[in-house]
Amino acid sequence: MATTTTKTAPAGMTERAKEWQQVGRGLAFLSPWLLGFCLLTLLPVGLSFYYSLCDYPPLKKPVFVGLDNYRQLLWEQDVTGSRGDPIFWKSVYVTFKYAVLALPGGLFVSLGLAMLLNVRVPGQAVYRTIIFIPTLVPTIASAMLWMWLFNAKLGLINTLLARIGLEGPGWLTSPTWLVPALAIMTIWGVGNTVIIYLAGLQDVPKELYEAAEIDGAGVWRRLWHVTLPMLTPVIFFNLIMGIIGTLQVFDAPMIMTNGNGGTDRAGYFYTLYLYDNAFRYEKMGYASAMAWILLLIILALTGLAFWSSKKWVHYQGK
Amino acid sequence: MHYIKPVLLTVFLLAMLALLAFGPRGTGGLPKEVQAGVDQGKITVVTYWEKWTGKEGEQMGEIVKDFNATVGKEKGIFIKYLSISEIDKKTLIATAAGVPPDIAGVWDTQVSQFSALNALEPLDDIAAEYGIKPGYYKGVYWKGCTYEGTLYALISTPATVALHYNKRLFNEVGLDPDKPPRTIRELDDYAAKLDVVQRDARGNITRIDRTGYLPLEPGWFIQHTGYWFGGSLYDEKSHQMTMTSPPMVAAFEWIRSYTERLGPKSVMDFKSGIGNNFDSPQNPFLTGTVAMVQQGTWMANYIEKLKPSMNRWNVPGTQAEQNAAREDLLRRLNERATQLAAVKVERAAAGTTDARRAELAAKEEELRREAWVLRKQFRDMCEWAAAPFPSVGKPESPYEPAIDTPTHAGFDVLTIPRGCKNKRQAFEFIAYVNRQEVMEKLCSLHCKNSPLTKVSEEFLLTHPNAYIEVFDKMAESKNAFGIPPIPIWTEVSDEVGILAANTYQMIGPPPREALAIAEKRLQRKVDRFFDRQAIRDREEAAAAAKGK
Repeated sequence: MATTTTKTAPAGMTERAKEWQQVGRGLAFLSPWLLGFCLLTLLPVGLSFYYSLCDYPPLKKPVFVGLDNYRQLLWEQDVTGSRGDPIFWKSVYVTFKYAVLALPGGLFVSLGLAMLLNVRVPGQAVYRTIIFIPTLVPTIASAMLWMWLFNAKLGLINTLLARIGLEGPGWLTSPTWLVPALAIMTIWGVGNTVIIYLAGLQDVPKELYEAAEIDGAGVWRRLWHVTLPMLTPVIFFNLIMGIIGTLQVFDAPMIMTNGNGGTDRAGYFYTLYLYDNAFRYEKMGYASAMAWILLLIILALTGLAFWSSKKWVHYQGK
Repeated sequence: MHYIKPVLLTVFLLAMLALLAFGPRGTGGLPKEVQAGVDQGKITVVTYWEKWTGKEGEQMGEIVKDFNATVGKEKGIFIKYLSISEIDKKTLIATAAGVPPDIAGVWDTQVSQFSALNALEPLDDIAAEYGIKPGYYKGVYWKGCTYEGTLYALISTPATVALHYNKRLFNEVGLDPDKPPRTIRELDDYAAKLDVVQRDARGNITRIDRTGYLPLEPGWFIQHTGYWFGGSLYDEKSHQMTMTSPPMVAAFEWIRSYTERLGPKSVMDFKSGIGNNFDSPQNPFLTGTVAMVQQGTWMANYIEKLKPSMNRWNVPGTQAEQNAAREDLLRRLNERATQLAAVKVERAAAGTTDARRAELAAKEEELRREAWVLRKQFRDMCEWAAAPFPSVGKPESPYEPAIDTPTHAGFDVLTIPRGCKNKRQAFEFIAYVNRQEVMEKLCSLHCKNSPLTKVSEEFLLTHPNAYIEVFDKMAESKNAFGIPPIPIWTEVSDEVGILAANTYQMIGPPPREALAIAEKRLQRKVDRFFDRQAIRDREEAAAAAKGK
């Protein structure tokens, strides 16, 4: 016969002491994670803020310069009369341009694909696999693949465009087309988002569709009045993840533009400039300031999304 | 029974501790006998990080192996060789963390940057002990190894940059392959003759099928174009950027002139089409799409690897027969070179009589003549050739070079990061690499010229690059130039590179204006670097004074 034993607090221990004992035990169990978090995350985050106020080449002692790094980045007068570091602003522009293309593009395409994949047709599993496969390809491999696809002379895309009488651009050499090309490549890898949408779609109660059908709603009305409202929490989740992801994109442009952003720095993303400052120009303080500005931008946009979510995100049962 | 759990736990913990304390140890990749020597305190392990991977990395590995088997064995030093990527960043981070390698094989671009950050050990005194002094290297290389007068690096392999051109295409358009262009004006004329373009009804170029020359193909040295015009980016004495000097403006206007002549769209379409294919059979110089390129000593290696037929030009027969003919020629050349070396040794030997010396002198002359004839045949088998890159012409006579044999001399270096554990032992290896015979072996394997003042005839005769004398002569030139000693060179290089690319693609303001803006921006960055360096130095001096 199995017996269970529970350790009891020594006699005479007060309630408060018992509570503290429990807290102590809890903390002891949490301590490996807490220690790791404090040493490997919290401390570097704190230090990076301090370094953002310093001139800090990694091999030298940091010299405190106050807000000088922020001043240089944001409002110091440039030789042309404009304000701030022109390369910084260019990288902000490039990153936002990409986010504006890739984020809504990714959300719409993945939603559309998820709806198609939700239709019961023969070979459904095969289609789902095909859509998901690109997410398994490492970024380096997919970047190399897309570099060939985008090749102006020999690439498949321009060859197909030529077949229909269109002259394809120099996707990776034209300042106009570089960011859209990267956005297209990103949208190709939306398999993960599609899976999340699929899960959301399957969570929509069937009764709602039945009720809508009884009320005479057609396919579009069901989509607009049932599916989309019920999916808004999932869309919201993907939006937040998308904001964070697109503003921090690094590996694909690093590979496809050789790290220098290509022609006229048209693909010089925020993270590329941050990386260059930290690890190539030895300006760790400047890079830290950039990292904090990026954090603030992401926080602001996420906050905005949360604020607006009250108006368009519908949770079941509310 | 309640004590079973604590007892088991204690036993388990004790076993773990015992295993940690007395358990088997990994040898850290060291051979057993070396590990034994280390344990006995007889062998010092020197960690050497090198950027080369692949074949070049393996070839350096051979040198390391030779050292470990000879000098290392004798002096109790074992080089632990690690070929790693992104070595510049890793070395810097490891140095900052206080655990640097003993030797770091980095690029010339890092010498100023790392020295200014106090990341490297100065080498003047220790190098002098080994007889490595300024005259030991060709001037441009010695200068490149120093920062503000102090030696911080020694060379592993160097290179110079030359004009590489396709002799077959020269023949096709009626140009003499033995008379490459000597001035920029001549280069432009040749390029126009070699261009194959398509035009619309109004005569505008709509498509480039082949180009004689394009400044951005591959454009690896585009930042340095000003030097071929007699200008420079930076004045190291005054720490001033000099990008608006007339030669610099002329250089950038020349870069732009190609796009103006060929049309921005055609140039961009052409560039898009050829892609970024240096290490590929699609390399436009190898496919004959670009007839002349600015490239370094290493190009010969890539030609042999990617398009060997360019090294078997005008050789009759099947591919196998061509290979056999080339191998036979190289075998005979090596034989002559070896015989020549042996004769020289015997002639110089103390016991050799005068009569024998005279006999050997005649034999030496004959072998030399034969060897150089074979060398010429080796060169004639090349569809390509190399010549000093043309420089600006004299104002009164644009087809007469105004600058004698200018070139960009780049190099890979061996450095000792500050705070390493085994400086002296590390330098023993660096000195070994800098021995003439070792340096020549490595440079020959890597298809590079020698940085040393003394170059053996055998090195030149047996070198895999058929035009090695051209590169060697360029390195000796007083107009050879290296990376400007700017402590923020990486940033400057990026900025000037983008500026040159924009100028080439006619993006942004005209060259004079664009250079003026870039000069002011970069000057501000250079000034800021030195200002902050001064603050830091003052603080360090104050802290040191306080410590005393």
